[in-house]
Amino acid sequence: MAEIMKGNHAIAEAAVRAGVTFYAGYPITPSSEIMEYLSGRLPELGRVFIQAESEVAGITMVMGAAACGVRALTASSGPGISLKQEGISCISDEELSCVVINVARYGNGLGTLFSSQCDYLRETRGGGNGDYRCIVLCPESVQEAVDLMALAYELSEKYRIVSTLLTEGALGQMMEPCVLPEFIDPPKVSWGFDGKYSYKKVGIFDRNPYQEGIDLRKKHECIKENEQRFETIDVEDADYVFVAYGLPARSVKGAIKELQAEGHKVGLIRLITAWPFPEKAFSVVNSHVKGFISVEASATGQVVEDVALYSKKSGFGHVPAYCLLNIYGIPAIRDTKENFKKIIAGEIKEVF
Amino acid sequence: MKEVIFAGLGGQGVLTIGLIMAEIANHRGDNTTWVPSYGSAMRGGMANCTVKYGKEIIYNPAQEACDILLAMHEQALSFFEEKMNSGGIIVYNSDIISKDKIRRTDVQCIGVPCASLAEKIGNPRGANIIMTGMLLKASGDFTEEEGLAGMNAMFAKKGKTKFEAQNSIAFKTGYDFPGN
Repeated sequence: MAEIMKGNHAIAEAAVRAGVTFYAGYPITPSSEIMEYLSGRLPELGRVFIQAESEVAGITMVMGAAACGVRALTASSGPGISLKQEGISCISDEELSCVVINVARYGNGLGTLFSSQCDYLRETRGGGNGDYRCIVLCPESVQEAVDLMALAYELSEKYRIVSTLLTEGALGQMMEPCVLPEFIDPPKVSWGFDGKYSYKKVGIFDRNPYQEGIDLRKKHECIKENEQRFETIDVEDADYVFVAYGLPARSVKGAIKELQAEGHKVGLIRLITAWPFPEKAFSVVNSHVKGFISVEASATGQVVEDVALYSKKSGFGHVPAYCLLNIYGIPAIRDTKENFKKIIAGEIKEVF
Repeated sequence: MKEVIFAGLGGQGVLTIGLIMAEIANHRGDNTTWVPSYGSAMRGGMANCTVKYGKEIIYNPAQEACDILLAMHEQALSFFEEKMNSGGIIVYNSDIISKDKIRRTDVQCIGVPCASLAEKIGNPRGANIIMTGMLLKASGDFTEEEGLAGMNAMFAKKGKTKFEAQNSIAFKTGYDFPGN
């Protein structure tokens, strides 16, 4: 039988089972239960847990563990992830692999404790200085969060890139039944320290940044081609296609079911990877679609920018992109339905 | 699918009552979600959680409009009764809330003096388990056996089987309380 687990605890146990050998981080609501759980669980298994003196120290320790070739993890929330950007950028530069979990909360600066999706642009654009991206995975349920954890490491090691599990406060705090994966023995990676300085990217000498730039671009193109993940619902004959991720996407599914029962032709593209953005999902959308509607827990509209860009790329440049902004929390099904009716009545204008 | 809000002051055990209900629903194979209000609240501040359960897929685990409200404190009652569906059920702690504080007239109200009952059965900390029993009965969705099996399985998982007998008595006290 599936066990009821708190999202953060389930994610932490899934990380243990995915072979995480090293955790370092600094607590912050609403992510703290991840490290609280690991503080007991990792030492119990003879693995390493460190409560670092700061976020910067935590991610830098993760960099060290990643350089040794072990599965390393850190978790935080919005402001804490900001502090970790120096390390994330360095890990990306050195083409090491690790997973960063962002249990997102709303607001600028220190922000609030409300569940939110306000870090979408930061997470999908790299986040730190430089010219890199992280693979961003976005679960809609505790089960999916658990299922994505091993994949996050597989992708991170396959492409030697940072994987981000982008979850949200409400998913970290809520409980629901889930089935945990089996324990896996992660494969040995080729780039771990061997004492001979045979991996030149850890360091600043003997490097050719121009060639590295070309290689990085090729890597990104390869990831975009091969690693888009998404779910679609009834987009083939929809007049309006919702686009969303995480818990808001799950709530939109409920709205779609009710709107369809009322006779509206609506569908959904749910992002599972936010980067690479699942542009392939647009190729199966009804060619006569009347509008795309981003539903997101942000104040200013972030996902809608990608919706406009990628719908244009897929030949829907003339189709309006609307945005329903919940700011924080999970949009209620009734609100999504009401706002949809305002869109078709022309009362809510398109963003792009 | 039913939506239940559990609301009271921090320390009254409302988050636990919600969790027991979710565990019972899961134990018999329902879909279920438990979402707490969280933040910088502490003992004495307002606390609440939302549980949904049923055979259907639960799309939005957060509050929409509740079918059942458990109010352990007057503040919680006045805040959440407006968010109820018509025809819903309010189960309230009649030790500290008087019935005339309930403004809604289109819902069923069940007062339970849970703290007094807990004293009476010699288990003063069992008030929230008594409320759990009453809630499950009032919902009309759970038999007493399903409730006891799910609750005891939950405490067993936490390694707290030594309280099973007294928890079961508290649960039955709530389930069998007249007014259901």
